[in-house]
Amino acid sequence: MNLLQLVAAFIRRRPLTWAFNVLTLSTGVAVVLALILVNQAVNDRFTRDLAGVDLVIGAKGSPLQIVLSSVFQMDVPTGNIKLSQAQGFARNMLVAKAVPVSMGDNVNEARIIGTTPEYGSLYGATLAEGRWWTKPMEAVVGASAAKRLHFGVGHVFIGAHGLSGSADLHRNFPYVVVGVLKPTGAVIDRLVLTDLASVWQVHEHPDPDDHDAEAMAERQPHERQVTALLVKYRSAMGALMLPRQVSATPDLQAAGPAIEVTRLFSLLGVGAAVLQGVGTAILALGAIGFFIALFGAVSQRRRDLALLRALGARPSLLLSVVAVEAALMGLVGGLVGVAAGRALAEMAARISMAQASGPTLVPPPVGMPDLVAVGAALALAIVASLGPAIIASRTNPAKELASG
Amino acid sequence: MFLVEALEAGRGDRAIARLPGLTLAPGEAALLTGPSGSGKTTLLLASAGLARAFAGQVTIDGTRVLSLKGATLDRFRGRSIGFIFQDIHLIPGLTALQNLLLAPFAVGSAQDRPRALSLLEAVGLGDKVRRPAETLSRGEAQRAAIARAMLLRPKVILADEPTASLDDAACDTVADLLLNAAQETQAALLIATHDQRLRQRLSNHVAVEVLA
Repeated sequence: MNLLQLVAAFIRRRPLTWAFNVLTLSTGVAVVLALILVNQAVNDRFTRDLAGVDLVIGAKGSPLQIVLSSVFQMDVPTGNIKLSQAQGFARNMLVAKAVPVSMGDNVNEARIIGTTPEYGSLYGATLAEGRWWTKPMEAVVGASAAKRLHFGVGHVFIGAHGLSGSADLHRNFPYVVVGVLKPTGAVIDRLVLTDLASVWQVHEHPDPDDHDAEAMAERQPHERQVTALLVKYRSAMGALMLPRQVSATPDLQAAGPAIEVTRLFSLLGVGAAVLQGVGTAILALGAIGFFIALFGAVSQRRRDLALLRALGARPSLLLSVVAVEAALMGLVGGLVGVAAGRALAEMAARISMAQASGPTLVPPPVGMPDLVAVGAALALAIVASLGPAIIASRTNPAKELASG
Repeated sequence: MFLVEALEAGRGDRAIARLPGLTLAPGEAALLTGPSGSGKTTLLLASAGLARAFAGQVTIDGTRVLSLKGATLDRFRGRSIGFIFQDIHLIPGLTALQNLLLAPFAVGSAQDRPRALSLLEAVGLGDKVRRPAETLSRGEAQRAAIARAMLLRPKVILADEPTASLDDAACDTVADLLLNAAQETQAALLIATHDQRLRQRLSNHVAVEVLA
């Protein structure tokens, strides 16, 4: 005979009440934990994709769109900028690193990015096999893109016009894969990288049947373009001077990715805050449920508790019977809630991955948030049990046992 | 030796019953008699420190029970007094055996399983030791409670209306079990009752004085 057996006997007598209250508590834990995990995954994802880029220079338009399209590869670009202008800023004293990106084609939903091998160094990308390109029409493929498309070194493919699936193929300009990157967990994994010149070749020497490209060649015969320039400052001075210099240049727009991401999060944050509120409300409901269940249990067991006192049990034992019962149920609620919250977050991550163009989310590994969630459920349960436990400890044997 | 001197007990702030005096040697038995509602149970509870005593003293083997307090009183009660209540016998959800072991558990004593099993055997529950308490009949539950009262070899066994609502045969059985229990443990046995059948079996009576 021990305390746990006694508590188990009490729990077994109210299986439905406990099932319901544990369910409520674990639902609250699950919702709050899943939100924390997804939020952290999104934050991690954006931070990694940001790769320390301080400023994006693109064509006039929405700064958020420029950042989303050129850094996170999630939106269409606002337009192109002249290569000569980009090169001008790349040589600027305030700039430590400048990586041009040029986009417009895809292969099976994987964006083809014309850039320099320095783009890889932004994400610390290293080759799993092959080499970096040395001439146009050679491509290096990101890890998840290579896996999804079954691309290996030596593979030849044809780009399609547009940023996602298109029937408009550039048949006369086949690419050859010369390298495959190791996974980085960042946006580069789902991209196909190639030389800037590849993009110009494909679009400046159009297929005979490509009317779009013909028109484009007509419009701007010799001025080469890129989509955007990703800039890292040399010093804090850059942040003060460079955006102003960019804005002073006609047709150019400067966008600070960190600012834009913060703005984006504050927009999404409203929805998250509502969900967080709902989760917290369910948690509170769970705690109240515990209180009511324990209160009912104590009044139902007054005579059992009085019997224990007659057998020599101290009031503190009656107190711990109730507290341990609550703690046990709180622990179960916490563990079930963490398991469900993990499953929810994993599901959200899967859904985001299923959309090939969306960022892949990886919930953080089991750690502090999970521990805190279980601890919170336990703490709520114990707090809810305090009142009923004290009432239990004050059981008056004379009142309960004297029937005659 | 179980000694009660001019014990006045009550509920709330009013004494309702008085036990003028009682001396019981180990193994000796007595009846505490009085009509229903005269305060017999309250006197039993008060003599174990579970109800308020307004006057008098209870002494068990030299220990003045009513002078004990708090945890000391609780532990003394658990170890020295075996209770058999009128209709609260066992805690449901626990087996018959676990209900017996509840007594040493409550006071933190060693749990003597072999003794618990042989006591259950002795009261005729040898084949039901692992049955959940709620599946036992009233009579079986009462017999398990008698076994529990004996488990820690108390100095005193207090029984409250043990034969109420029993037929004659069952009444005899319970009386035998209680008297055997007192003999086996060498405990003083005090039975609160208004049952005429018990009055005929035991000659040692002490009547409750009802206080206005």
